[in-house]
Amino acid sequence: MNRRSAIRLAAFGFGAIVLWFVPTLQGPMGFPIFYLLFGYSLLFWFAQASSWNMFTGYSGYFSFGQGAFFGVGVYTTGVLAAKRGWPLIAAVPVAGILSALLGLGLGFVVFRLRKLQGEIFALVTLAVAFVVAAIARVSSKIDGGSGIALNEVKLPDFLGSFPSMMFRLGLIIAVLTVFAAATIQHSRLGWGLFSINDDEAVAEGLGVPTFRHKMMAFGISTFFAGLSGAVHAVQISYITIEDVFSIRIPLFVIVMSVLGGMRHWMGPIVGATIIHTLTDRLNRAGDLDLFGGNLTLSLSHLNDVIIGLLLIVMVLAVKDGLWPRLARRRWAALAAFVLGVVAARIWIPDMSPIAKFVVGELAAVLVLLPPPALVSRWSSRSGPPNTPADQPPEAASV
Amino acid sequence: MTLLTFENIHKRFGGVAALGGVTGSVAEGEILGLVGPNGSGKSTLINVLSGFAEPNEGSITFADIDITATEAHHRFKEGISRTYQIPRPFTRMTVRENVAVSLIFGRANLPPSEAIERALHWLDFAGLAGHADLPISELNLHQLKYLELSRALASEPRVLFLDEVLAGLNPTEIEESILMIRRIHELGISLVIVEHVLRVVNALSTRIMALNQGLVIAEGVPADVMRDPEVVKAYLGSRWKHA
Repeated sequence: MNRRSAIRLAAFGFGAIVLWFVPTLQGPMGFPIFYLLFGYSLLFWFAQASSWNMFTGYSGYFSFGQGAFFGVGVYTTGVLAAKRGWPLIAAVPVAGILSALLGLGLGFVVFRLRKLQGEIFALVTLAVAFVVAAIARVSSKIDGGSGIALNEVKLPDFLGSFPSMMFRLGLIIAVLTVFAAATIQHSRLGWGLFSINDDEAVAEGLGVPTFRHKMMAFGISTFFAGLSGAVHAVQISYITIEDVFSIRIPLFVIVMSVLGGMRHWMGPIVGATIIHTLTDRLNRAGDLDLFGGNLTLSLSHLNDVIIGLLLIVMVLAVKDGLWPRLARRRWAALAAFVLGVVAARIWIPDMSPIAKFVVGELAAVLVLLPPPALVSRWSSRSGPPNTPADQPPEAASV
Repeated sequence: MTLLTFENIHKRFGGVAALGGVTGSVAEGEILGLVGPNGSGKSTLINVLSGFAEPNEGSITFADIDITATEAHHRFKEGISRTYQIPRPFTRMTVRENVAVSLIFGRANLPPSEAIERALHWLDFAGLAGHADLPISELNLHQLKYLELSRALASEPRVLFLDEVLAGLNPTEIEESILMIRRIHELGISLVIVEHVLRVVNALSTRIMALNQGLVIAEGVPADVMRDPEVVKAYLGSRWKHA
């Protein structure tokens, strides 16, 4: 292990240990239990978006099938833990393995077809989600169409109360997934995937075992998608086909990763944080009265519209995602974030902390919007010429 | 000593025979020139030998091992390397990272952190060290072709296929490239060059193989092959046959 990966391992370990004790602090510090569940959801999206991105973001093979692998995870818990009485802890790894087997089986068929690559893969992954959903619906051993209740599942009580336990399970899976994504990015596998992304035939000609690399990455990616789904089943508590295999999971992991940046493991983290905090606040915002009550806007209904608009703006203005720019303008973004939070605090003193965070993060995003060319022109007038601002993001990201 | 041999190679695309039974070899330390008019099968032969296309018939042996069924990445690791007629760099990586890929997955087999360092050596060989951390979009065609050479050389190949490395270059750049090819040859690498500029092939090659319509029509030392009536006919048309 080289120095860099040792530092990475230490940082992840330290972060995980610190966060592990957050639920312990809940009682003494008296913050609402809601924050533990909110934290769990955030960790859940970290795991889902990272697991999707470590394959699709790195290799460029677009998968619409995240829902299928998530769904295999959810239903493994449903069948093994709820119907057959397995403890949750035993069902979770099995879910990861089943999901990975589905991924590997799919990959084995699709990646072999040399001439049919990107587009076919996208379509096949989309189809697989439908097929898996159909099988679960028809088979009475799985779902049979009536859904499964999970209130009898044997939970790992030693991890604390339900919210504490969910937070900690979510933490373990998120840390493992994100650590895997970061490790892959800097490993031989990551280099292989990035070169496949740019030109697969040339990559093969330069010694990259393209088939094996795609299989490995897709296997690992789908393993974590299943793992995360298996834990999430308990959070949903009553699982139905419509809900589990809805467009929500595949859509959100794509939006999160595109928004944050797909060529760095931090991309999905940034994207998931923004999307999740924003949708959470919009869902709870209720109605907004404008013009003295003459016009009422329901923010929760506008949620999807706002997320859609955000995606359009981001794809047009920040093609490579926010992370590469954030890495370069971190101090400006941090200053904007702090200013935003302070302004929100002055403006509406009793605003919830998450809402203040959202105001701060939107302020930071604004700082990241101007294109690098504009920033470097401005900074070359006031500072040393050729600041790293106009370097391509990839220089730093691979 | 013979390094690479290929026997009776057939390659068909649909009903068209791009190669109709080509046999030949590459000896250690030689520069084999592949000549022939457009569509004669030169590029197809390179594709088949480097593992980019599967032959319909025939066998390929490299260092006494049958590699007919092996994949391109495997052949690269064994020491067969190539460049492309139109440069194909990894466009979202820097110049240095492009070479690092070859060091990670080629015969050097380095871990990524060392490959990034070592890449500089091969960029320096091609005179690109000053451009190491630039994005690909900053390079011109000549530099892109040199990047392809650095990438191909970084794995320390035993045979290197150069697919029209001179095409599209101006006279000064062509002269520089010829010197570069000689320097590569001095490293002890066997070269197979495909080139349209016959003058250059003549000057560089130790042996020439002429193809036409997927068949070998002449083979031997440059002077003989260039005088061969079949070759003259293939290049200039039949009315020059008796000239």
